[in-house]
Amino acid sequence: MKYGPLVFLAAFFALAASWCGFVLAPQIQIGRQQQETNMYNPSDLYPLPRPGLARQGLAVYRANGCAACHSQQVGQTGTVADVILTDAGTNPVAVADALVKANVGVSNANPAGLSGGLPKPIVRGVEIEVANATVSALLSAGAKAGVELVPLGPDIARGWGKRRTVAEDYLADDTVMPGSLRVGPDLANVGVRRPDLRWHLRHLYAPTVEVRDSAMPPYRFLFEKKKIELQPSPDALQLPKEFAPPPGYEIVPKPAARALAAYLASLRTDTPLFEAPTAAPPPPPGVATTNAPAGPAPGATNSAAMK
Amino acid sequence: MNPETNQPVSTAADSTPPPAGRATVPVWLIVLMFLMLYWGALYFDANGGWFSPQVYTPYHSVGELEAFIPRHEGPDIGRGKYLFDNICALCHGPDGAGKPGQAPPLVGSEWVNTPGVNRIIRIPVLGLNGLIDVKGQQYSFPSGMTAVAATRQMMSDEDLANVLTYVRQAWGNKAPPVTAAQVKAIRDQLANRSQPLTVDELKSLPEK
Repeated sequence: MKYGPLVFLAAFFALAASWCGFVLAPQIQIGRQQQETNMYNPSDLYPLPRPGLARQGLAVYRANGCAACHSQQVGQTGTVADVILTDAGTNPVAVADALVKANVGVSNANPAGLSGGLPKPIVRGVEIEVANATVSALLSAGAKAGVELVPLGPDIARGWGKRRTVAEDYLADDTVMPGSLRVGPDLANVGVRRPDLRWHLRHLYAPTVEVRDSAMPPYRFLFEKKKIELQPSPDALQLPKEFAPPPGYEIVPKPAARALAAYLASLRTDTPLFEAPTAAPPPPPGVATTNAPAGPAPGATNSAAMK
Repeated sequence: MNPETNQPVSTAADSTPPPAGRATVPVWLIVLMFLMLYWGALYFDANGGWFSPQVYTPYHSVGELEAFIPRHEGPDIGRGKYLFDNICALCHGPDGAGKPGQAPPLVGSEWVNTPGVNRIIRIPVLGLNGLIDVKGQQYSFPSGMTAVAATRQMMSDEDLANVLTYVRQAWGNKAPPVTAAQVKAIRDQLANRSQPLTVDELKSLPEK
């Protein structure tokens, strides 16, 4: 072969270039990512490792090819902000005036109507800079207001997530299952939508019980039909008549089904991150009051007394 | 194979190749290519995020993302909790209960729940030596409390205000917040001092 070395070099550089692009560059870019903190709550680390049963469930998910029909990635087309009024202050006329002057499309704010039904959104769907400026204007008028982020996009409109998924979301899994085809719905946040393990087990045994027009094949080999010995098992499936086993028998999940259900219930990517900002999740009841600053900015009077 | 089809069908005049003339690339094409390269560079600069691992599709730059970070009027208690759990909680405990005989509790402490902030800011900035009475018990750490915020490199004015505000308002404590301006004023006074405080000295200071 006359041009052997040349052919070798050409092939080598072609492969080396694609390796650099597909392997080396992403490794340099995101290969060293570590746990990150929640955007609103810096003491919360994300992502936490999945519980043991859910980690086994990831292997079941992989072995049964769930990723062939289900993706785990949410897209996003943009982010807007709402301004939430939490306290109208003592001078609603000045607040209404500030709202009109902030030039956010509110031309006729009614001072009397501001204080009703708080907290409530008073400006919707504006750019973040505009929302921040509006909040500062409202604060200087004596009211209290906050910004709530609203990510946009078809996936988010379908209720498949609160924000787009980012590389950070897959950090806890050692086999990442992003999927590419959506015969079924996206599962990146299925644990938020369906926290109930029994729902997942019934759905795996007979998908049409839970979703009438489901195209999903039943995974009955993950369950076993057992004769009821003395009394029914506590984890036997509650099924409608047409799917129920004959009298005296019960359907119980095998360990693989239990693990898969635990994995599905553990899927959630709704933590607000720096690279994927979204509104803070509502605080669990009873926690919010303990750490809130008491009273309207007492620090101002303190610093005046110091000088 | 039919030999006739292999015969050259063209005449001798046609078979001479066309003469190789000198064709230059048109100038407008070169200019257009440079313009497209320039536009591409501008487009990348505006939308590419410069390969930052934190910039994903709907966003264009880290600066754009920074606008989404929640604003805080006054101290940020969430950040204060984060710093407390990583620094102060080693001795004072994540619940602020302290260690018997060594680290005094912060829950309900009369040193924490004060209307003024003149004393509490000095403690993490200078450290504290010797016995201290808290809620009727005596505490003394063998080597004294370390000055965990001796310099601004160790902890900025804002972060020290965040931690102190968290301590003053968590676990049922109810004291006014500490502002960064108050921290800065006291740090400027203490700029030339590196010796730890003593309790008698602390008591001689006005509370406000």
